[in-house]
Amino acid sequence: MSIDAAARRDFERVLGVDDVISERARLRSYECDGLTGYRVIPGLVLLPRTAEAVAGAVRVCAAHAIPFVARGAGTGLSGGALPVADGVVISLQRLRRVLEVDPVDRRAVLEPGVTNLDVTRAAAPYGLYYAPDPSSQQVCTIGGNVAENSGGAHCLKYGFTTNHVLALEVVLADGSLVTLGGDSGEQAGPDLRGVFLGSEGTVGIATKITVRLLRTPESVRTLLADFPSVEAAGEVVSDIVAAGIVPAAVEMMDTLAIEAAEAAVHAGYTLGTPAALVVELDGPAEECDGQFEQVKAICEKHGCTRLHIAADAEERAAIWRGRKSAFAAVGRISPDYFVQDGVVPRTRLAEVLNRIAAMGDEAGLRVANVFHAGDGNLHPLVLFDAAAGETERAEELSGKIAELCVELGGSLSGEHGIGTDKACSMPKMFSEVDLAVMGRVRSAFDPAGLCNPGKLLPTPRLCGERPGKYRPHALEEAGVIERL
Amino acid sequence: MTTHDSTTHDSTIHPGGTAGPDGGPAAVPVARPATLAEAVSALAGSTGRVLLRGTGTATDWAGRAEPADLVLDTTALSGVITHNPGDMTVGVHGGTPLRELNATLAEHGQRVALDAARIDRGATVGGLVATADAGPAALVHGSPRDLVIGATVVLADGTAARTGGHVIKNVAGYDLAKLVHGSHGTLALIAEVVLRLHPVPPATATVRWPARLPEAARAAAAVLASPLEPSAVEWCGDGLLVRLEGSAAALGPRTERLLDLLGDSADGPPQRLAEVDAVAEWAEHAAVVDARPDDAAMLRIGCRPSRLPGVLTELVHELGASRVTAGLATGVGTMALAAEPAAVARAHEIVHAAGGTSMLRGRPAGSRAPGWGPAPSSIAVLRAVKAELDPEGRLGAGRFSPWM
Repeated sequence: MSIDAAARRDFERVLGVDDVISERARLRSYECDGLTGYRVIPGLVLLPRTAEAVAGAVRVCAAHAIPFVARGAGTGLSGGALPVADGVVISLQRLRRVLEVDPVDRRAVLEPGVTNLDVTRAAAPYGLYYAPDPSSQQVCTIGGNVAENSGGAHCLKYGFTTNHVLALEVVLADGSLVTLGGDSGEQAGPDLRGVFLGSEGTVGIATKITVRLLRTPESVRTLLADFPSVEAAGEVVSDIVAAGIVPAAVEMMDTLAIEAAEAAVHAGYTLGTPAALVVELDGPAEECDGQFEQVKAICEKHGCTRLHIAADAEERAAIWRGRKSAFAAVGRISPDYFVQDGVVPRTRLAEVLNRIAAMGDEAGLRVANVFHAGDGNLHPLVLFDAAAGETERAEELSGKIAELCVELGGSLSGEHGIGTDKACSMPKMFSEVDLAVMGRVRSAFDPAGLCNPGKLLPTPRLCGERPGKYRPHALEEAGVIERL
Repeated sequence: MTTHDSTTHDSTIHPGGTAGPDGGPAAVPVARPATLAEAVSALAGSTGRVLLRGTGTATDWAGRAEPADLVLDTTALSGVITHNPGDMTVGVHGGTPLRELNATLAEHGQRVALDAARIDRGATVGGLVATADAGPAALVHGSPRDLVIGATVVLADGTAARTGGHVIKNVAGYDLAKLVHGSHGTLALIAEVVLRLHPVPPATATVRWPARLPEAARAAAAVLASPLEPSAVEWCGDGLLVRLEGSAAALGPRTERLLDLLGDSADGPPQRLAEVDAVAEWAEHAAVVDARPDDAAMLRIGCRPSRLPGVLTELVHELGASRVTAGLATGVGTMALAAEPAAVARAHEIVHAAGGTSMLRGRPAGSRAPGWGPAPSSIAVLRAVKAELDPEGRLGAGRFSPWM
């Protein structure tokens, strides 16, 4: 703990003694996010209750040059909320009020600690909902969604968090409170709102978020279809797209992922099938029904071996339970796993899956695949046994898969973020010049570099001098953090 | 290759007055790069103030451009770089006219789902992004910011930086495309743009409901609360236009439901327009939004949709606004105002007081009407970004006057 006494007194003065945590045992519960391999115990944890208190805390950080890391529910999968040892964590968990739901203008105003699902719960009585639905939606917060520009299963049709946020009240690195965006899509000047979205907590802390709400679709149709190969399932996705249909969701799972999900939740998937597709359509009843018939015909054309149509909301929920449980369920078939989040152009899905399988064979490791087929966002799960000494091999394979996605014209991350995890891979995707310009944007928001340092952009300190090559994390070498 | 030449200032080429002060004649060199590399050289190899210009369809928007030492014309930086029909993405040079791009994409049953009024005048993709321009389809598809998935931008010193990529889902790195969206040529040249595409709907139907603004607003609210999922809801002149898109088979029943929901207005029954009439109505809407009167300034505003009718009514009553259109679902409205500075400043104030934003879009040559209302609360960040990316203040001087 290296927060000096004067700074601590200032935090206590701004927040009150009870809202400043310094006991080591309590600090430990903030040492990592969903990427549990990286752990750092922060100097202090602050629990502000208002936007003004967040601003006050940040002003103390600015005055004492103390790095700060904002944190929502801590469900992030890229180490974006990893604390800084000589810094503070600012938890937004106590800012969890739904400030307004406006059914006429179809929007909600939220504090950052409101969970994603609670937004839809608050909107539901008006026949409205909030579209982005990351798998962690029961616990993840809207503030975290803003930081990560979260997606979810339905973003092929409905877009990402950035497409649904109208305005943000944010605390900047100097402690000033400003609004980005506004009451309509029309803004005066550059879209700073859009720059903030997905900036992973590196340019400020959102304290109030205005989101668009959509009308709940009149009709939703969901099917689960098995296929004799991943290629056949991939062709179904291509044909659906070629038919001019934009499904609400198209998800794919392979044999291993299905095995895991079935072991966990018994959702009715077929054990042993090489590939299963979940296709969901929604919209006005007439449109939805017509397109659903087209989708069924496309599935049959490509040798679908089983077609299960959800008869009611309960059966639909079961299908989604199987899909959404897949990550956690992998723990049932493997002691340890890494999850990746790369994206490829959809037309290269079959190619990337074949190459991942070959890379897995070569490394002697199993890879389960569950992914958003409609938008090419993969979630390969590299299974391994740390006790058997497979960690390093698994980590290497996992990193290679992410970089393969870049090589095929895609991205390192579709929704989990770069965070701590992939910062050192950024030079695989962007040139030094690209990254330098991003660094200049960051400096414009945070010239002193106090706002979630070490995340998103590679730094020589973290990644070594040679860009792109894996090296142990500097903090790892120093014994400050460890991987699994 | 880049062509450098000089052009005498001419209002048909520089309608906003880019060269001599107050439109006085002055020779301004023009660089017309045809490749990214040439664009880089043109900026890196020049000094002084630069005006970025595409086809010149929005040269007189926002703040008045101050005299420049160089015009960088993007019209040769044009054409498709890569189109992946199966992925529904396209990469283009920034100077590509969207009208031409959409004509090419239509052969594949695809489109860039953007219907800003000035597209038919030849507006470029880069220009549409730089001006954050959108049309009625924004109700479903948003602004250019929601369609751009990647870009290559060139800073004033010639630094070329890439952001995003060719996949629709991508959270790696800062989204620099958002930064140049609405930057009006002040932060960087938009040299290349990657866009996500949407299918061209198999069929569309438009219903016209004759009504004045307040009554139209109530009807629009009812349509938006229904499950009919309209793709555009606009009031223009003396009627509400509602557009539905979908399959030919489903559109008939959906349109019937819409007609039932609307019922008769005080001015008459709703009418499903024949296709040729629908095309004409939407063209007329675009023409009103995109009007360039000699004696008036055009203002575009955005606010909470429910406040829009009241704000527009106030602008009509107090300032005599005319040629009004109202995006009753998006909260975006347009109008013509007397081009006097005091009247336009008052209009900005009225919109701002309702929590909205406003921007001047077109004014008569020589008009001193202010381009913007009060500065946004984020102005300090905006200035800091400008200082980082264009420290010498070379690009787009005057565009954000008086804030920046």
